[in-house]
Amino acid sequence: MSTISTQLRNFKEPTKEQLTQLFFALPPPLDPLEGEKSDVDQLEKMEISAVLVLQDEQSWPGKLYLYPPYLAFASLDRKSTRFTVPLSTIRRVERLNARAGVYALSLSLWHGVKIVVQLTSLRPTADLFCSLLRDSLKVELTRGRMKSVKSFVKSCYSEVLVMTAENEEKDGAAAKAEDGGPANESIYHGGLGLKFKFPGDPKKLREASKTKLWTNYLRAHGRNLTLLRYPQCTRLVQVGLPNRLRGEMWETLSGSLYLRYENPGYYERLLEENSGRVNTSTEEIEKDLHRSLPEYSAYQSEEGIASLRRVLQAYSFKNPETGYCQAMNILAAAILIYMSEEQAFWLLEVICGRLLPGYYSPSMHGTLLDQRVFESLVQRCLPIIHDYFQQVDVQLSVASLPWFLSLFINSMPMVFAFRIIDCFFCMGPRVLFQVGLAILKINGEELLRIQDDGGFIQLMRRYFATLGDSAHPNSSDPRARAITRFQELLLVSFREFAIITDDTILTERRKYRSEIISSIESFSKRSAIRNLRTLARFSKDQAGLIYDALFKAICIAPPTSVAFPPPSLLTTKDNAEERPETRIELKTFKVFLSEICTWARDEKIVRNGFQQRIDREVADHELIDRLFFFWDISYRGALSFQALDLVSGLDGVMFNDLMENIEWFFNLHDKNKDGYLTKDEVLTLSESLLFIFRYEIGDAYLGAVSRFMSNAFEYGDALLPRPEDANTDDDTPPQIESNQPYMNLATFRMVVLADEILESFFESDFSSTFRLQPVPLELPSSNSGLLGGLWHNITSDDNRKIFNSFTDQIGRTIGKHQVYHRPAIGKYTTLEEPKARESLLTPTMRPAAEGSPKDPSSPSSTSSVSPSSSSQLGAEPSATMTPLTPMPSMFQAAAQAAAYMERTPFAIDDAKDEDEDTEDESGFEDDGVLDEVDAFLEEHDTGLTEAEREVAKGLLLIL
Amino acid sequence: MADGASGAAERSVQVKLVLLGEAAVGKSSVVLRFVSNEFQANKEPTIGAAFLTQKCRLEDRVLRYEIWDTAGQERFHSLAPMYYRNAQAAVVVYDVTKASSLEKAKTWVKELQRQANPNIVIALAGNKVDLVQPSSSSSGAATPETEDEADDATATPGENAGAAGSEPETLRQVPREEAEAYAQEAGLLFFETSAKTGDGIVEMFTEIAKKIPIDQILASSRGTGRPGAAGGRTGAGQEGVNLDENAGKGKEACNC
Repeated sequence: MSTISTQLRNFKEPTKEQLTQLFFALPPPLDPLEGEKSDVDQLEKMEISAVLVLQDEQSWPGKLYLYPPYLAFASLDRKSTRFTVPLSTIRRVERLNARAGVYALSLSLWHGVKIVVQLTSLRPTADLFCSLLRDSLKVELTRGRMKSVKSFVKSCYSEVLVMTAENEEKDGAAAKAEDGGPANESIYHGGLGLKFKFPGDPKKLREASKTKLWTNYLRAHGRNLTLLRYPQCTRLVQVGLPNRLRGEMWETLSGSLYLRYENPGYYERLLEENSGRVNTSTEEIEKDLHRSLPEYSAYQSEEGIASLRRVLQAYSFKNPETGYCQAMNILAAAILIYMSEEQAFWLLEVICGRLLPGYYSPSMHGTLLDQRVFESLVQRCLPIIHDYFQQVDVQLSVASLPWFLSLFINSMPMVFAFRIIDCFFCMGPRVLFQVGLAILKINGEELLRIQDDGGFIQLMRRYFATLGDSAHPNSSDPRARAITRFQELLLVSFREFAIITDDTILTERRKYRSEIISSIESFSKRSAIRNLRTLARFSKDQAGLIYDALFKAICIAPPTSVAFPPPSLLTTKDNAEERPETRIELKTFKVFLSEICTWARDEKIVRNGFQQRIDREVADHELIDRLFFFWDISYRGALSFQALDLVSGLDGVMFNDLMENIEWFFNLHDKNKDGYLTKDEVLTLSESLLFIFRYEIGDAYLGAVSRFMSNAFEYGDALLPRPEDANTDDDTPPQIESNQPYMNLATFRMVVLADEILESFFESDFSSTFRLQPVPLELPSSNSGLLGGLWHNITSDDNRKIFNSFTDQIGRTIGKHQVYHRPAIGKYTTLEEPKARESLLTPTMRPAAEGSPKDPSSPSSTSSVSPSSSSQLGAEPSATMTPLTPMPSMFQAAAQAAAYMERTPFAIDDAKDEDEDTEDESGFEDDGVLDEVDAFLEEHDTGLTEAEREVAKGLLLIL
Repeated sequence: MADGASGAAERSVQVKLVLLGEAAVGKSSVVLRFVSNEFQANKEPTIGAAFLTQKCRLEDRVLRYEIWDTAGQERFHSLAPMYYRNAQAAVVVYDVTKASSLEKAKTWVKELQRQANPNIVIALAGNKVDLVQPSSSSSGAATPETEDEADDATATPGENAGAAGSEPETLRQVPREEAEAYAQEAGLLFFETSAKTGDGIVEMFTEIAKKIPIDQILASSRGTGRPGAAGGRTGAGQEGVNLDENAGKGKEACNC
């Protein structure tokens, strides 16, 4: 459980349109593999009130939905009558010229069955609907989908049934089988049961009569792609599907049929493309293949095992995030008895994705959520049992979890489980809850006597073992005696718990989702921290804060799903077995760091007269990238919590003393780790410092950095080894390429310590820019489903933004809008700037820094810095903190200072031939220039207006 | 029936035991060996947890183990608390031929020690020792086999490696001493077991039984019916620590 799942946080309640699509099992838009799909997406969706008129003149008012490329209908109660029909199965649409005022359409399907619907909306609306329908049909025609229908339905057993029945009728009893033979020499899909026998006794199951009833129904009301479901259909499902038809009816009722129809050949291609490939699930699947319904004969043969393996692997390749979860093996094994691999693959997709969402995900949040929902339903419907369980501390889930997770398959005898599954596909997930409640209710009396979890399990086991027995063995009425306990169970489920509807489940899920998510999150947090190999110097709470920051970062900038090296690198056994862990890439790291580190974020304090708030943004700078790769010690391009990259990374910087910090900062910039910085790296390091100091008030830090740079190059040059062949009198430093080793740690340390500000920065300020503070998990808009309710609508991130910008506008108009950048350190307000220290270099050690003052550009450049900033400051009290141009003067100055420094070596080169004795002086002069600048800055700073000081103070207080 | 149950509790003591460990280390096999003394491919797939019971006799008392054999897959981890709550004993299983499984076992131990019943008796079991024990046939007889298998380059890499080494010990990734030292440090019972041959299984359950504060369970189950809640006294935990003295006394005590 060391992985952090963003799926949980990113959950969004489905929109109304999505709910409709889910209800009618419409396949989601395809993966954008084929570009030509776009014309379908552009087609308009529409719904319209309509009345469905069946042949027996029964009529069902409801709604007709045009969701190209599908047409769907549901009666007002959403369950009595419904259909989902691909437009491509419609061959003809006629407007019936019936009585006046009735706008009726007759849709002829490919096999001749007609659907008659009356559009009951106003005429213009009905006209619009018809024209949209016409357009959509045209698109289907041009896509050639009409032609694909006939070849597809050949794969359906229902066609064989209907065809045979029709032939029988035509030819009478004579030569039925032979005649029909070649025509429907069908390639219909079937399961392992065809070869290995279906579970149960066909006679006892009354297969023949069930098949006959279904054949009649399918002939009259369409089948497979065009099945019309009206109350009789549900009743037929409740008495149990005939074995041969079962697989196809499952896919029809669940809607997985449409996926198979829309994606011909997908399953085969998927297997082909991934043949020989291994993913994290492969091994787990392999382990369970022989533990999946092992008592069924097909799974004692290589054929059955191979099918099972292919289906599970195909699923795991299609859904790498879910991969494989124990219990899926049982599901897959069960459905493969009744359907082909391809059918099973798509059905599994529908089960895991739509019917039991999140059940099999790595966090199993769907399972936990539905267990919570079940518990609340028990509390509501069976309060006595619920209270008793509380009293004796029996946990419902110990028994009910497998019911839901494997659809009762390994809880009760298979024949009964399959009957529940029939209903499950027909009526949806509520069936599981209804049956679960009925089980408890029927066993109520005995449940009130159990003492512990074990007793509960054993009672349930005994009950399931007797499902085939008579429910009323002592009744004098033979018909009552014939009722089995299983029948009783279904009766109680659907009669007494009819109040449990799809909406009940949805509402309950909504109610408990955030509770479940936060408990999963705190569980993963606890175990992630517990499982850290070391906490380094952090306390457990601090590690928790690091985790929180990481968690928030991952929610804001989710890592791309495959943050792993390419598969070829993963083939070593150790890696393949590595437990999943959360790794973050640079993008997420930036957010993470901005949570912890004050200079890794841009914080603006906004006052607009109504409110004061802090707008925080993630900063972007090479320094942060550098830090990321510095911490990525295993060179994976990603950092991990478990692998301690982040913890030890932070540990390496948060507890340092002065010397350690200096060394750390040096190492951070020593890219090739040779113990030397190049000139380029010195410049980069200076830029890093400027970046950290970018929002400090006043110019003390700017001054410190420019002193640092001048000192660095001065000392650096002074300490360079002289080339031996050169003239010893010539003190000009050897020329050094900007990418050559230039400055070692000792020199760097000396340069840093030469400056009081830098010294104090490295002594304590730098470490304290890393702060572990409780992260308010107010997440971005992605969490919208979590809070729910009205308050959430007001406080959602978007709305807050709107509110903020609104108040800002008002603030601006009334002249109260102020924006300040919050500094990362906020120590020196430059009111009393510490003086730079005396140079550590003896005069003889400063050989050649005289170039600069002779270069006319440098004094002017330094002086040009100040006016620019001063003019800004003078113009407006808060100008140094204007929102859009953060400290322009600072950056400008930095750039110029950098330019100035860059110039120095060349200046020295030019000055090669200068007289020796001018050197000291000129070096002094050089310092003098800087002092001048400092003095200027200081003077300027002391010139801060009272208002500015107030601002500065305020800033410090906020910190 | 309620009377019958409480009557039985007078004579036999119920002990809730949970099995934890990485997938495929042989948790279910260990239970199966203990409960029905057989070794076979798993009949019942473990979804969440399988529940089995086994009675065994310890001196003058009858213990009734209620065994919760949990699913090993990582994603079922978050369900585990449901099974180990109120447990008086836990067996954390690892596979001696797989080093990572000991790491996983350690995290389970940590979790149990922090989250479970404070008096829980934990045993660490290194399973599959049959794979690393020198076979009863002499090493001389094994030599020709090695050559045969060396020719067969396509053999399963794992087996091949084992055969090529000709020393079964090379399959072992967790030295006994290492695991034992860890167990001692963490205050666990330690066993190396083989569900296949039955080595160490009964001994393990016997030693666990000895270490469980039976009288306390009897007292508390008569009271609240919730052994975990009543077992919070620290005295019992200390009592359990000096088990080393009793260890290895009567191995035949458990007749099951």
